[in-house]
Amino acid sequence: MEFDFNSLFAFIIFGITIGVVYGMVALGISLIYSGLDIVHFAHGEIYMFGAFFGLVMAKDMSIPYPAALIGAMVLAGLMGMLIERVFYRRLTRSGGGYTVAGMGMIICGFGMSVALMNVAFLIWGADAKPFSINLGMPLQLGNISIPQSYIITAVISFLLMGMLHFFLKYTKLGLAVRAVAQNKDIAYLMGINVPVFISLIFGLACALAAAAGVLIGPMQSVQVEMGYLMLMKAFAAAVVGGFGSLPGALLGGILVGIFENLGAAYISPSHKDIYAFLLLILVLMIRPSGLFGIEAKVKA
Amino acid sequence: MLEIKNLHAGYGRLKILRGINLSVPKGGIIALLGGNGTGKSTLLKTISGLLPVMEGSIEFDGEILERIKPHEIVKSGLVQVTQSKESYPAMTVEENLMVGSYVRSDRNAIKQDLEKIYQFFPILKKRRKTLSGTLSGGEVQMLVIGRGLMANPKMLMLDEPSAAIAPKIVLEIFSNIYKISQTGVTILIVEQNVRMALLLAQYGYIIRDGVIMLEGKSEDLIHDPSVRESFLGGTVTDTTRELSA
Repeated sequence: MEFDFNSLFAFIIFGITIGVVYGMVALGISLIYSGLDIVHFAHGEIYMFGAFFGLVMAKDMSIPYPAALIGAMVLAGLMGMLIERVFYRRLTRSGGGYTVAGMGMIICGFGMSVALMNVAFLIWGADAKPFSINLGMPLQLGNISIPQSYIITAVISFLLMGMLHFFLKYTKLGLAVRAVAQNKDIAYLMGINVPVFISLIFGLACALAAAAGVLIGPMQSVQVEMGYLMLMKAFAAAVVGGFGSLPGALLGGILVGIFENLGAAYISPSHKDIYAFLLLILVLMIRPSGLFGIEAKVKA
Repeated sequence: MLEIKNLHAGYGRLKILRGINLSVPKGGIIALLGGNGTGKSTLLKTISGLLPVMEGSIEFDGEILERIKPHEIVKSGLVQVTQSKESYPAMTVEENLMVGSYVRSDRNAIKQDLEKIYQFFPILKKRRKTLSGTLSGGEVQMLVIGRGLMANPKMLMLDEPSAAIAPKIVLEIFSNIYKISQTGVTILIVEQNVRMALLLAQYGYIIRDGVIMLEGKSEDLIHDPSVRESFLGGTVTDTTRELSA
């Protein structure tokens, strides 16, 4: 049998598309990790809420898809800031991930994950909901046809991450965000209002997760339990790329996406979700700090 | 400029400072001296608002600093430079300096100040695009002092600028601190290197176990027998004899 390069190409493109979405969620996890010194285990549920926000706005309120995307990001961002302010701040204030409070923080994250899932269940029920939007005909690229939703997803994801990169690298506020992420005590001493920036970091990360949710929605369907698997994949992406590194999160996501799609295509589609973790184990065996990993952040 | 009266402070329920009285006149250089674990850094953290005041008062530029948040204290012109090696290692030298200017919005003046700092520390200009994590201990110390200056402070508090730095560089850094004070910035320097600090400062306080044990003019302190005994390691002539031997 002749090897079909066209379908290989297609699998890679689909892999990249889904991968940038993993990358976006991973980016949020990384941002929160570097900013608050905690691993946010409820991030998958923020993603799920984001998808539902988008669904409700686009379907029930018939808001155009791009506006629904922005709306879901804003809502989820605000929701994240509220959660951070009410539940997490007491714990982060008494020390981050390197203290006893850090352990409490992890448990609190898990609890938040279960709580959010149940809240979503009460509101929207357990059924998977289709999130169909009409984006027009698939795009023909040689012999492969790529659905419009994939293209839009890739473009918007790259755009959002580009904007985040620009914000962090070239604006004064972004510089302050990085300062808070790297060392809070010094940030205080440089006149930065640290708690406000922690809220901002959390909100940004949650907005990214929501964007991922709204983008994935039309490809799959929206349901209460969708967050768990996304969290795991994004986690794998963040670790593969190097925890705490922002370009690493994106690259890790893309790698996970490609690996997963190729595995599903050429090995076995029924084990689709294993491949991400195989890649994770492989990378950790060769480079324990991840591809873009920086030395573990150690507090004095 | 800075008046501290009967200050008690510490971590949680653990009281470390027990009744500190200290005053820094405008434009002066004042040294706070003491060994490890005597409460020097605790005092600086309390002044900067990172630790709460339990009792007593801190007055800066006519304002009581008691319940003000750390970032507001910086805005009022009181800036602390922590011990060396606390730069932002993953940022470039110039980005580090720009973090210092966060509280300001006067763009042109910020640019001028950046140039001024590069004049003080030419090595920083040479390495402006490198990550500060790759700098040597002395360079990082210059960087964090520069970063503090970028906030355009009325008063600068320096926490052990000589710690873990080669003696030759220490001299360069101290002469720059003197130059900085000549530009009108009031300076409180916290040191274990008593000899260097007293050469620089006009007046010194010696702290031990959270209380001010001794205070006085630098030249008096340098010749005080108890200071010599506890910090300077015998008499000056003894040291010269050791060196020549």
